[in-house]
Amino acid sequence: MNSLSRLRAPHPHLGAYYGIVTSAFVSLIVLLAMFEQLGWREVVIAQFMIVTPLLLYIVIAVGSRTRNTEDFFTSGRRVPAVFNGFVLAATAVGGVGFLAYTGAVFFLGFDALAIGLGLTCGILAGAVLFVPYLRKAGAYTLPGFLGQRFRSRRLRIAASVMQIPPMALLLAAEIKIAALIASLFLPLTFSLAVFLVAALVAAIGMLGGMRALTWAGSAQFIVGAVGLAVPLVTVSVLLTSLPTPQFTYGELIPSLQNAEITAGLSPVQPEEVETDLPPTAPQKVLKPFFQPFGIFGEFDFVVLFLCLMLGTAALPSLLVRSGVTRSVVEQRRSTAWALLLVALFALTAPAMAVFVKLLLFQDIGLAPAATASLPDWLTGLSGRQLLQASDANGDGGIGAAEILFTRDGIALTLPTLAGLPYVLTVLMAASGMAVALAAAGSHLFTLAGSMAEDVYRVLDRGAAEHPRLAAAWGAIAGSAIAAALFLIVADIDPLRAALTALAFAAATFFPVLMLAIWWPRGSEWGAFASMCTGFSVIFLGAMFGPDTGIYLAIVGLIGVIAGLVAGITASLYGIKPPAAATAYWQEMRNPEGEAIYDRAKARAAASAANASTGGQ
Amino acid sequence: MTTETPAGDHAGRDRHQLRTLILAGATLLAVLFAVILAVVNAASLNQYWFLHFPLGFYLLAQGVLIFIVVSGFWYVRTQERIDRTRSENEEPE
Repeated sequence: MNSLSRLRAPHPHLGAYYGIVTSAFVSLIVLLAMFEQLGWREVVIAQFMIVTPLLLYIVIAVGSRTRNTEDFFTSGRRVPAVFNGFVLAATAVGGVGFLAYTGAVFFLGFDALAIGLGLTCGILAGAVLFVPYLRKAGAYTLPGFLGQRFRSRRLRIAASVMQIPPMALLLAAEIKIAALIASLFLPLTFSLAVFLVAALVAAIGMLGGMRALTWAGSAQFIVGAVGLAVPLVTVSVLLTSLPTPQFTYGELIPSLQNAEITAGLSPVQPEEVETDLPPTAPQKVLKPFFQPFGIFGEFDFVVLFLCLMLGTAALPSLLVRSGVTRSVVEQRRSTAWALLLVALFALTAPAMAVFVKLLLFQDIGLAPAATASLPDWLTGLSGRQLLQASDANGDGGIGAAEILFTRDGIALTLPTLAGLPYVLTVLMAASGMAVALAAAGSHLFTLAGSMAEDVYRVLDRGAAEHPRLAAAWGAIAGSAIAAALFLIVADIDPLRAALTALAFAAATFFPVLMLAIWWPRGSEWGAFASMCTGFSVIFLGAMFGPDTGIYLAIVGLIGVIAGLVAGITASLYGIKPPAAATAYWQEMRNPEGEAIYDRAKARAAASAANASTGGQ
Repeated sequence: MTTETPAGDHAGRDRHQLRTLILAGATLLAVLFAVILAVVNAASLNQYWFLHFPLGFYLLAQGVLIFIVVSGFWYVRTQERIDRTRSENEEPE
């Protein structure tokens, strides 16, 4: 470890600071629970529980503000592995995973496991195939890395442009989830909530760039984890007498299967259903939870898993965090922490869906067929638009088959269904909003940072430090406003948008990253051919094909294969890479020493200093 | 931008790259094999029960996930050992 690395010691009291943040948040929950018992109104409790963490994120962002480019783009390369793992996990799961994936598991049961498996395996694939080498390269952005590896400014700009669709889709999806929660629990319209969420995310990004996103993101992860764990563990203790929901919900399977039979759910076949992924609009449960391959067949399951895996592995907003730790070893360890945390969430989501389904169907099944004696939660949840119930068959009562559920509200219904205090419902909402904000911040910064570093700086090569930051601020503000306006006019489905984004990331970036990192013979034209082919396949497929999840996944995988074939062919039969590109590849594969980018920057600074000294 | 590597270090460097490639391939292939095996046999395995879960469901909801995490940490540890061997074999500057 040389002198530059020794300067990058992480703050010695980080653990204490985040311990205080955690204790303060737990104290807030306890205080609000007491105030609820003392008769505080629900709306006041919701405001305190949701707005107080938002103020905390702003305070952390103000404390992390910076005008130094290395801090702004790489958080000073001194983030400890565990904290980087926190933010990576929050970005990978996001509000879409927290609410939409849990809802998808509720509707699809067994078949939705492909999503969680794909996400988790994607983190592992990224950690093994790309992350350590990106850390050694040390570029601020993914297009920046490709430009340096293949010695091409044109490639860098092209990669930056092709990064826009997946990042913009994910950004819009996360802002929508956060705005949805804000409009459900705060006295705000959806449009106003969208603008406020976009403004908050942009403010954090503009204040301190990657540095503010890292430290605010760590707090958001803690709020997300505590907010998910407290209600879920409480419900688990009530239902199974044990505080480990992930491993004990199996005891409830016979009760759930009986409740599903009482509710009239029967096994389905893939050809019987109109759409594979559940939509955002309220709808009935389609199939029994444990029926395997009722919506997705075995082939569809594997295709969806592979597409999500490759898309997550090559997702620019996860890979952009590859430069924030002190060394290659630290970076590898941070992805291992992220893998553990994402897997823990993937283990937890089915438990949450089983609890919700059991409580709903059991209560409805036990209630006499008269509307007046239906459970109390039905009115409360209908009032919050988390479900719709109507006497469709005209028998004077409401059965389980007559209730329509809102996919993205399933997780939020759990505390109410279990009869827990209202404070735990808003805690779950604050938790979902926290991870949605962390993910939105990462996607926004990846999109805007690339525009500033890979487009503005490449076009204006003499850009000094301040204009580079000003360009990044402008790009962050512009991207946030564009995303908010897009959400006002377009009604997007966050789950479908995330799947499309991951298919784009897989087809566009997975093949070119494989060529860049694992093949010294890969050339500039091979990289161009690979990216353009993959992007064209998924773009045409997404624009003109049927609107189903499986179709998108198949097109994404075709894009990956076509991109690899095009890249290898163009590299083999095109111009050979220059010696400098091959030497860069060799250096990138050496895990020891400083980042290549930092060494080049230090050499350029030393040359400039020598030149000025010589001139005097 | 790059450093010149002495010819004598090429064998050590190539050995490091080969071992890295084998480790990466083995880790990912093992995980992919586990997932596909679990998917293909899920329906038939569901007639057996494990920890109160149908076995096919358990493998995809928990078993494979735990295997992925263990593989990830094993990969990190093994790769660090491979990197350490390379740096020990290289001559100090």
